[in-house]
Amino acid sequence: MTTVDSGRTESAVTPITPIAPVEQINLIIDGFEVTVPKGTLVIRAAEQLGIQIPRFCDHPLLAPVGACRQCLVDIEINGRAFPKPQASCTIPVENGMIVKTQLTSEVAQKAQEGVMELLLVNHPLDCPVCDKGGECPLQNQAMSTGQSESRFEGTKRKFEKPVNISSQVLLDRERCILCARCTRFSEEIAGDAFISLNERGALQQVGIYEKDPFESYFSGNTVQICPVGALTGSAYRFRSRPFDLVSTPSVCEHCASGCSLRTDVRRNKTLRRLAGDDSNVNEEWNCDKGRWAFQYTMAKDRIANPLIRENGQLREASWPEALAAAAAGLKDKRTGVLVGGRSTVEDAYGYAKFARVALNTNDIDFRSRPHSQEETDFLAAHVVGSKVNYQDIDTADHVVLVGFEPEEESPIIFLRIRKQVQKRALEVTAVTPYLSRGFKKLNAKAVLTTPGQEATALNGLSLTSKSIIISGERLAELAGGLSAVVKLANKSGAKIAWVPRRAGERGAIEVGAIGNLLPGGRPVSDATARVDLAAAWGVDSLPAEIGKNADQILAAANAGQLEALVIGGVDPFDMQQPPVNALEKTFIVSLEMRPSAITEFADVIFPIAAVTEKSGSFMSWAGTSRSFEKAAPDAEHRSDAYVLSILSDAMGTPINLTGSKAAAKEIAAVGSWDGARATFTATQAKNLHEGVILATWRHLLDNGSLQANEPNLAGTARKNLARVSAKFANELGVKNGDLVTVSTDRGSLALPIEVSEILDGVIWLPRNGVGAESLRILGALNGDGVRVRKGI
Amino acid sequence: MSYDEKTNGQMDAIIARYPRSRSAIMPMLHLIQSRDGFVTPTGIEFISEKLGLTTAEVYAVATFYSQYKRKPVGEYHVGVCTNTLCAVMGGDAIFAGLKDHLGVGNDEVTNDGKISVEHIECNAACDYAPVVMVNWEFFDNQTVESAKTLVDDLRSGKNPAPTRGANKVSTFKETSELLAGFNDGHAEEGVQAGPATLLGLKIAKEMGAQL
Repeated sequence: MTTVDSGRTESAVTPITPIAPVEQINLIIDGFEVTVPKGTLVIRAAEQLGIQIPRFCDHPLLAPVGACRQCLVDIEINGRAFPKPQASCTIPVENGMIVKTQLTSEVAQKAQEGVMELLLVNHPLDCPVCDKGGECPLQNQAMSTGQSESRFEGTKRKFEKPVNISSQVLLDRERCILCARCTRFSEEIAGDAFISLNERGALQQVGIYEKDPFESYFSGNTVQICPVGALTGSAYRFRSRPFDLVSTPSVCEHCASGCSLRTDVRRNKTLRRLAGDDSNVNEEWNCDKGRWAFQYTMAKDRIANPLIRENGQLREASWPEALAAAAAGLKDKRTGVLVGGRSTVEDAYGYAKFARVALNTNDIDFRSRPHSQEETDFLAAHVVGSKVNYQDIDTADHVVLVGFEPEEESPIIFLRIRKQVQKRALEVTAVTPYLSRGFKKLNAKAVLTTPGQEATALNGLSLTSKSIIISGERLAELAGGLSAVVKLANKSGAKIAWVPRRAGERGAIEVGAIGNLLPGGRPVSDATARVDLAAAWGVDSLPAEIGKNADQILAAANAGQLEALVIGGVDPFDMQQPPVNALEKTFIVSLEMRPSAITEFADVIFPIAAVTEKSGSFMSWAGTSRSFEKAAPDAEHRSDAYVLSILSDAMGTPINLTGSKAAAKEIAAVGSWDGARATFTATQAKNLHEGVILATWRHLLDNGSLQANEPNLAGTARKNLARVSAKFANELGVKNGDLVTVSTDRGSLALPIEVSEILDGVIWLPRNGVGAESLRILGALNGDGVRVRKGI
Repeated sequence: MSYDEKTNGQMDAIIARYPRSRSAIMPMLHLIQSRDGFVTPTGIEFISEKLGLTTAEVYAVATFYSQYKRKPVGEYHVGVCTNTLCAVMGGDAIFAGLKDHLGVGNDEVTNDGKISVEHIECNAACDYAPVVMVNWEFFDNQTVESAKTLVDDLRSGKNPAPTRGANKVSTFKETSELLAGFNDGHAEEGVQAGPATLLGLKIAKEMGAQL
């Protein structure tokens, strides 16, 4: 099987998107009749017959361009032949067309060989040292279509190499065949035309404008679709040969977009990840975080063995000793469980079952971030079980974004919306205090709104049942926001979608890692639901009291009402109030990969597996699960669910989850609740704070712990800037680049400003920029008042 | 990154000529050359901001066309056609002679900043080969000696008249403003189609062709 693209193979025929009404066209290719929808390109019709026409510039998700000329075929229509071979990637089929490819036409074959010979004139043929060698369309098609000898006797063109077009993408210009896939992707799909074809003639080359590097969040896709080795990733360069890699289909663990990925491992080390192919979700793309942020899995400081605290110091312990210590510390203690938002569905289920069965409590929450009671109710009433998905975006008449900046917070949703904006001018409205570049690329109509006044903005919108309101997790910080979403949806019939930032949050809701829901969306408050689940689990009863949320759990720990905590994958600095006192006072069992702010306080620490080291699944914002297998075959770490299961055994209250597979089976067996859903009670908006109002969200690339140890990726992060309006900048007496200091009672942060399209009296800060961790430093949320002054 | 009020106004006038603003990019690049003498980074960034394009998109256009210069040229940019017909008629010799006479290479400027030379592609004046152009004005039927005299005259401020078209040679910056679409008042001057161009027509008429 010849590889055509990394991640795409010859046998994987590209599905043809039906165009309604579908008029069918009959034509003959190499003597075979084929019927395809009108508008299909000849090269695509040939694929339907299994006829592979060589190509480089052609890509099914990019507009036809006919740049490389490799796909020349002979065509005649109703007895009239084209005078010379035509590029089959730019010509749509017609009735009565007779196409002869290289298989049946000597003219086409000779034309293709001629093009190949010309493409190779300046190509260095450095395959033995090229990253692409072994999976290179040029290499493969030179074998299938080229000649073994070149007639070129001159000197090949040379360029200085490689050029860093960003810190993570390198360009070897002499390998380039000028197919323009990279520049077309950047312009058509990502909307980031930061690379272009420069110069002309023999010197034509891909490049950037010197001062503006290729800092697109989607730049890695150009490396993947480059049909030669011209674009390579810094992290993978010279690290492996493709035939030495073992590939495992996997799922991105970063955001809630739900991308299909492929993880390539060599000797248990993850060397690269590529976008997988799922036309319903990420098509063939992913973002650079999903592609390159995986070094954390191989960090040198990974916890190898269980640790227990003895006289204030952590020491390594055997599993039986650590399990016994943890079981003794938790037995008959009032305990809360904090899951974090990054667990797989199976692991979250493990925590959910552990809390109910081993700890006899509903005090469990996956939200290690600002949250509210309004959100808790909203999740139970409008999110659990919801199936609004990417296809709804494709058919929507209007998308409203509130508390959500898709390019920064869920990039594949961004690409999906942008595709529809480009294709059919989908109407997008952004309810936001600051019109970011991402919103502009969506051509979004901005309803500039002071954080906290979303309800007013949403009340003013008029939608239909084909509209979608997409709210982000940040809306929980703004009282009344989610209530206004519900009100608008009820009034208009519009669909509600909720997009958390972390990959594990939606799955955690579905499997009951929250205080008001049991697995399958069963309301804790519903006695029948509790009985139903108790029967499925084979336990006598389940706790009936609705569980506390994360803030309440920590407050209770601080007040001595909870004596122990089980914590997995939580960064306490993601919460508004870092719960240091609560952590000091309680017995803590921590499940972690690496030392963290939690492990500093933990009494027993169990090492757990990274996503590459276990199987499992993640559920996207759309409520669809995608499962993955263990990619690093010899990894010894075990999943959270397994560790919790053996801990529950040690406590004498077994949850019987021997691993992710067993958990997945049990989740399916337990099923979803078909009884009544929780009802939602609206919350009123609060009065505005005094002073300057803060607006803040995370950049895609920032100080997140899963982005550790990847400097090439970090090099393309957005600059940390404070954003203010021109009027406000004027009042402060500052211009672009000048420092302002933003302060609260907790701390202060100085950042350079940039005048932006933002409401007067509002300042926007990155929430977790490297060196600009505004949440951690200021403890301020969206809608909070902050003080701003000029200078440091 | 800014230009004076007049330039700004001219940029807006250029943009106003087109239904889609990005169509204005080429005359805007000429206007940048009329101010800065070549396409400066400042100019590229200015246009990108003005048109809402990325700098890479503007840079791609600026580097595609050889009439956009990325380093300073002379006040008089002398182009010698070295395509086939002009070359065999003496263009190659003129180009070599001028480089030698001025002591500069292709696309280089004399120390006084007055003259730069470049070998250029066909300018559709084969009937007057070999052709030399000064800031895109025609000097027909040149020889090595006439071309040397031409550049000497230009350097000494004599302003020799072109064979056809405008009565005078404008400076590179002035010509760039004209190319940006701002009339310099010389449009109606001089010979348009010369005798060599019309020779075929004349012969045809003499032979009684019905035209």
